[in-house]
Amino acid sequence: MPLALAAMCSAAGPAAQGDKAQTPSSISVVVNEDTGFPTPNALSFYQAAGTQITYQSSVYTGGFGIQGGFFGTSRLNSVPSLSAPCLYVSDAGSNDIASISLSTQQAVGTFTGSQTDDGSSNGISLAVNTSYLYASFTASNTIGTFAVQSGCGLSFLGDVSAIGLQGGSVSGMAVNGKMLVVAYGDGSIQSFSVTGGMPVSNNDLQNSTGYTAPNQNWFAGPSMPSGVDITQDGRFAIFGDISATSTVEVSSLTTGKLATTLAYSLTSVEGTGVDAGAVRLSPDESLLYIANSESGTVTAAFFNATTGKIMRGCMSKTLQGFNFRPWLGSVVTRDTTGTGSVLYVAEFGRDYLEINHGPATAIGILTVTSNGKTCTLTEASTSPVQLFYPGALSIGVYPPRPF
Amino acid sequence: MRCKLWFLQLVLVSGLPLCAVAQQMCPPRPTDGAAIANPLDLYSQNGVLTLNLALLSQIGPTGFTHYCYVYVNNGNPVEAPTLRVNPGDRLVLNFTNNITVTGRPPKSRHAPMQPMAMGDMDAAAAQNNPCLGGMVTATTTNIHFHGLNVAPICHQDEVVKTIIPNNGQPFQYSIPIPANDPPGLYWYHPHPHGFSAPQVLGGASGALIIGGTNSLTQGLTERILIFRRNVDAVTDDDGQFTVNFETANYPRHPLPVINMTAGQQEFWRVLNASTNGFLALQLLAPAAQQLLVISVDGIPLTTPTNMTTIYLPPAGRAEFIVPALAVGTPSHLFTEGFDTGPIGDPMPATSLANIVVGPGKYDEVHTARAVPPPTEAPRFSGLASVTPNTTRALYFSELNVGTNGPGQFFITVPGQKQKLFDPKNGPAITTKVGSVEDWTISNQTGEPHAFHIHQVHFLVTAINGVSVTNPYMADTITVPYWIGTGPYPNVTVRMDFRDPNIAGSFVYHCHILDHEDGGMMATIVVQP
Repeated sequence: MPLALAAMCSAAGPAAQGDKAQTPSSISVVVNEDTGFPTPNALSFYQAAGTQITYQSSVYTGGFGIQGGFFGTSRLNSVPSLSAPCLYVSDAGSNDIASISLSTQQAVGTFTGSQTDDGSSNGISLAVNTSYLYASFTASNTIGTFAVQSGCGLSFLGDVSAIGLQGGSVSGMAVNGKMLVVAYGDGSIQSFSVTGGMPVSNNDLQNSTGYTAPNQNWFAGPSMPSGVDITQDGRFAIFGDISATSTVEVSSLTTGKLATTLAYSLTSVEGTGVDAGAVRLSPDESLLYIANSESGTVTAAFFNATTGKIMRGCMSKTLQGFNFRPWLGSVVTRDTTGTGSVLYVAEFGRDYLEINHGPATAIGILTVTSNGKTCTLTEASTSPVQLFYPGALSIGVYPPRPF
Repeated sequence: MRCKLWFLQLVLVSGLPLCAVAQQMCPPRPTDGAAIANPLDLYSQNGVLTLNLALLSQIGPTGFTHYCYVYVNNGNPVEAPTLRVNPGDRLVLNFTNNITVTGRPPKSRHAPMQPMAMGDMDAAAAQNNPCLGGMVTATTTNIHFHGLNVAPICHQDEVVKTIIPNNGQPFQYSIPIPANDPPGLYWYHPHPHGFSAPQVLGGASGALIIGGTNSLTQGLTERILIFRRNVDAVTDDDGQFTVNFETANYPRHPLPVINMTAGQQEFWRVLNASTNGFLALQLLAPAAQQLLVISVDGIPLTTPTNMTTIYLPPAGRAEFIVPALAVGTPSHLFTEGFDTGPIGDPMPATSLANIVVGPGKYDEVHTARAVPPPTEAPRFSGLASVTPNTTRALYFSELNVGTNGPGQFFITVPGQKQKLFDPKNGPAITTKVGSVEDWTISNQTGEPHAFHIHQVHFLVTAINGVSVTNPYMADTITVPYWIGTGPYPNVTVRMDFRDPNIAGSFVYHCHILDHEDGGMMATIVVQP
């Protein structure tokens, strides 16, 4: 079914869609809605062109969300390969993983882990490589492993326990072919070897430097890693911190374990953000994008992929209408090369039945410029694009970043 | 046999036999839709009010924990009696912590509650002395006498180092009520840092009234209304108000009933004992009636003031005269709803009680006893005209890992590092007895906070930099939320540390108790 027709069919709300060819020139922006019982969870597709996005369709996941949770959690993710056009979405309210075919934009099915897996407290984070999907369940403190199968299917393999040093549950995680890196949202971090599929702890559970070093002069208070990204070569893990300043931490993975993190406070000439919840490297790894979840700004920092060092870059103004849409979720790039050119950021909304709480959830759109020494982040005139339902904290782009 | 052993212990401790307490059961709470009755009154006699009180816990039908203060009255367990004393009296409360179970906690935006060490752990363990601190856990507790202007010392009103374990040992509070303490409504509730919210949310709170004479209220029927919140099993939300333990959640539950005698004014003393609820009280009959407010947070207003809406933050109190209503007037006690900002817990408008105006007399309420006039002028007199010797600023801030928590909550002096409350942090503010200070407390978050300080009241002088027309005394005040741009909302209050009796170390915090448990508290030391 052509995209335009899909949009017409879905004007009244989410609905399963028909066939749709995914052409290389077509860029889909996908956002979760995370709607909770009794409203079915859904995600929506938008077609990207320039700084505009156009609503295409919505699809029910087949489960229920919880309309919120951790900022650093990736509630939707895809196999980082064009050969597997599959999108996975977590249903934290019904404790399952929904699979969506990107080529058909139809739900393939829902897949469950063990009977005790429970993500109802703060969501289910998903990390995917070409062979396995890892799902962290925040209420049961478990990480489930699923084998990625042809046709976008999943096969549950088993659980491992995952609890932070202070008792926290996984707030964010990222995976490559060898290692799964998690942040617990209580100040601690950990890595697991995934060479055999199931995660095996690298015995490096530790508190981050930002959490344990409150005496550094820039440091305004305790800091808790939340979102995670890993460089393409697997040498560095980067954490976005919940902190009074826009703080990120970098850990070397070269020894096969998480090294002690280096913490960076990213106050720029524009000021500082609050709560660097989600982080995302640009496709060329020259920039690190940070969604400052509580101040409604996005920060770009210069990243040296050779040394792992971070330099201050730039910060956007507070996104338009942010005071009515508290909290930012994840941030992704439009393009799969260079700086990514355009950023999309999920703006969480509030239930519009609540008094004096205005528009619901939205997608923020920003343009990026960088000459390697200075940069700008400017909200597009087309931003924000308001969504149908509150609850967007995760956003993705297809074709995906290649790592 | 167990009952007999407990029987003996209770006889020894309280002088009253009761197997019901021995069985660790909270008294049944009123059924939905019943007439609201005043809590049991316990009056001081010959200048002393002595009572035995136990804190019990049990898992309720929804899986959450009820916490109940139980007093044994003529062999029957009674929950949360009202303690009535007069200025100059002594309150002697023999308290026993009988918390036995702690069920599933309600959802909270702060991190999972972890035991925290308070005071001198080694000394506390070695000497078995609750005054020396210890590990605060879900089964420990203490009592804060909210609003009383008394000493911050163990056995009076100290909450950081006073950690009472659930070992069945009685712990005595012995509090001299200052002869100059203003007459009005105060209250008591648990204050173990990290676990205050679940215990108060579970129902552990009660009224404490310092008696006084007021010609406006003399002879009026007096009604004690305590608003709490409880946990709803369906929504897993602690958003259901209760009135004297009756659920006010229409239409899922029948509304509580207030029976009023037609043509007669009443004197209402209202306490917001909820952990997080903001009230905007109205009496609709059917239009919003003028309520003559005579006292806020236990301290009489200089000039009684008519209001149609009374705003009460968590821990706030108001005492007011309700106008006479005609028979059959359709009437409701109502909260207009409160805008809690982008990230606050929603506080929608809702009816809280159905008021039935009839010709009869009702026995669930009564007229308060007359008390002798005070022997001293009320404290805080003339505070408005005192020139402060110090000005300070504080600000509320938050960090949130996610929409559902865990979060971190701070109250900070600008220039100092943001720190979650920990007694090891030391005092954030140090001052001296005799000091009168103006504090401006601002809010950098998207939800309101309820600033509260122990041991003293303060004079509210300005809101957002604009002077208050009629400054008034309070011990808890709402600091409005920030909209994300522009200056931070703030309130300015005048602190009175002139009384040498309050010298010592005590705390100030947000009285949204999830926030206090989550770290939004700090220490002040008033040096002698």
